[in-house]
Amino acid sequence: MPIFECRNLTKSYGSAPALSNVNLAVESGRIVGLLGPNGSGKTTMIKLANGLLTPTAGEVLIDGMAPGIETKKIVSYLPERTYIPLWMNAEQLMDFFGDFYADFRRERAEEMIAHLGIDPKQRVKEMSKGTREKVQLILVMSRAAKLYMLDEPIGGVDPATRDYIISTIIGNYDQQASVIISTHLIADVESVLDDVIFINRGEIILQSTVDEVREKNGKSVDALFREVFKC
Amino acid sequence: MLGKLMKYEFRATGQSMLPLLAFVLVAALGVNIMERITQHSDSNAVGFLAGLLMFVFIMAIVVLSVMAVFIMAQRFYRNFLTDEGYLMFTLPASVHSLLWSKIFVSSIWFAAVGAADVLAVLIASFQVSNVSRFISSLTDMFKSLTAQYALNGAAFIAESIVVIFLACAVTCLMFYAAMAVGFSFPRHKWFMSVLFFFIFTIALQICGFGGMFTWVNVGGGPAMSALTMMHTTMGVAMGIEALLGAVFYVLTALMLKKSLNLE
Amino acid sequence: MEWQLNTNAPIYSQLIYNLKLAIVAGQYSPGDRMPSVRDMAMEAGVNPNTMQRALQELERDGLVFSQRTSGRFVTEEKSMIEDAKRSLAEEQIRSFLGSMSRLGYGKKEIIALLESGTEEAMTTNANI
Repeated sequence: MPIFECRNLTKSYGSAPALSNVNLAVESGRIVGLLGPNGSGKTTMIKLANGLLTPTAGEVLIDGMAPGIETKKIVSYLPERTYIPLWMNAEQLMDFFGDFYADFRRERAEEMIAHLGIDPKQRVKEMSKGTREKVQLILVMSRAAKLYMLDEPIGGVDPATRDYIISTIIGNYDQQASVIISTHLIADVESVLDDVIFINRGEIILQSTVDEVREKNGKSVDALFREVFKC
Repeated sequence: MLGKLMKYEFRATGQSMLPLLAFVLVAALGVNIMERITQHSDSNAVGFLAGLLMFVFIMAIVVLSVMAVFIMAQRFYRNFLTDEGYLMFTLPASVHSLLWSKIFVSSIWFAAVGAADVLAVLIASFQVSNVSRFISSLTDMFKSLTAQYALNGAAFIAESIVVIFLACAVTCLMFYAAMAVGFSFPRHKWFMSVLFFFIFTIALQICGFGGMFTWVNVGGGPAMSALTMMHTTMGVAMGIEALLGAVFYVLTALMLKKSLNLE
Repeated sequence: MEWQLNTNAPIYSQLIYNLKLAIVAGQYSPGDRMPSVRDMAMEAGVNPNTMQRALQELERDGLVFSQRTSGRFVTEEKSMIEDAKRSLAEEQIRSFLGSMSRLGYGKKEIIALLESGTEEAMTTNANI
């Protein structure tokens, strides 16, 4: 059974459709890039998968189930925003995740936080934006989830941080699990992806493996993307 | 789940509530000390200071109550309707446990405020002639009421406490519902929240008065003794509050489940 | 280990090429233990599953073998490595000859260029 599936998924706000009749399936063990320009519907799809929005039509399934308490136990979601409470410190955040998520690997998280030189007693309020993003990523990737959904994990960070983020993803990802990375910065993540999905204006334009794209087109996914989405 | 959620609620709100509660108690202590000093002194300055402190104390009690409601409403807003909502609503917990954790913790804080108020008054008046005279005159009046109207004073107080407590919880729920509804709109979220707050307040008043009015004119009557009348009236008041609370609860839960609009 | 991955060719075949090259060039000697799949995946910046599949192909080719508990090892059979070295060399030659003929060179000219060019190339490489 695919770990993530959309069946005729549609989401409209008033008359404007954010997603139109989306059909796709992601199997376990794949790292998938959800690629499209801003406003193409990537974030809407991810929010629907996490139960933060309800579909206008069609359905979204995680491991065959509609989004709910059972799916939240197996999905680890990294939103684009800073979503951790500002008053907590790193240690309290780890307590929090450990309390609510049975699959949270505390020692892993502690190791990564220490490796970055972050004081566990430092409050989120006092952390720089870059540090906050890294902490969020560490918390999300420290869960042994079946599906990771990362919304723009590498946007707005320096190249060294980008490398760190990608190696954190690879290093912590359970090989049975799947990762969906939504981004518009393709060149930096291309090498880590197995599959790519091009999305524009709420519709799926392309779904393929990276190797197929490179073989058929003789160019990188990034190059193909630029071609397909040329203004 | 509920227990864990409540634990974090207390941690988040305690940082603001505990200092306020402590301040009220310390102010009470201050009033008590000032009263004792005033009794042994004829100085005008001392008298003025005592009056000032009494004023601060009364303000502290008022501010504590107002702040409690404000802090609970702000907590709901920040934790559910801003970016923290991404964290809370992706936890493997139902919207109901999330909502009840807030309701329980708010209610407990309101009870704590009430208890702190009573405690503060007792501290302020402890063995201090002026204030304790005032307190004992209240107690006398209460005793005469009990004797004259054969009302069970203790039960009346208990029932009043429940009604007041329920009213606080319902007011809190009203804030929650107003915000949950207001924020489900794509634009002008704050405006809609305030608008719905006023609508709910008016609805609350109408239902409250309407209900009591109906009850007093239709339900009661010569067939019932004054005692039963009193208790039943209290019961009706509780019933109305509970019903309104349930309506606001359902509204809030529905909005959070279906129309959550995190940006 | 140095990974040379470009974005225009399929990742999978490039991983296999890089691994074969590392073994053939002696970066991993016969009998050497290879790093874990995850470590190599992190080095190369690819999905560990893809690295796993590449290593499995190498196993099928007989260049590496795995021992359940101890991990993956380079084969001790030097002949297998020699075969791999030769087939990599043949690939290089094929692609070289293809490029040269696109430039319009014939067999004799290619050989002459090779003889003069080899001297230079060998000395330059030796100095690196």
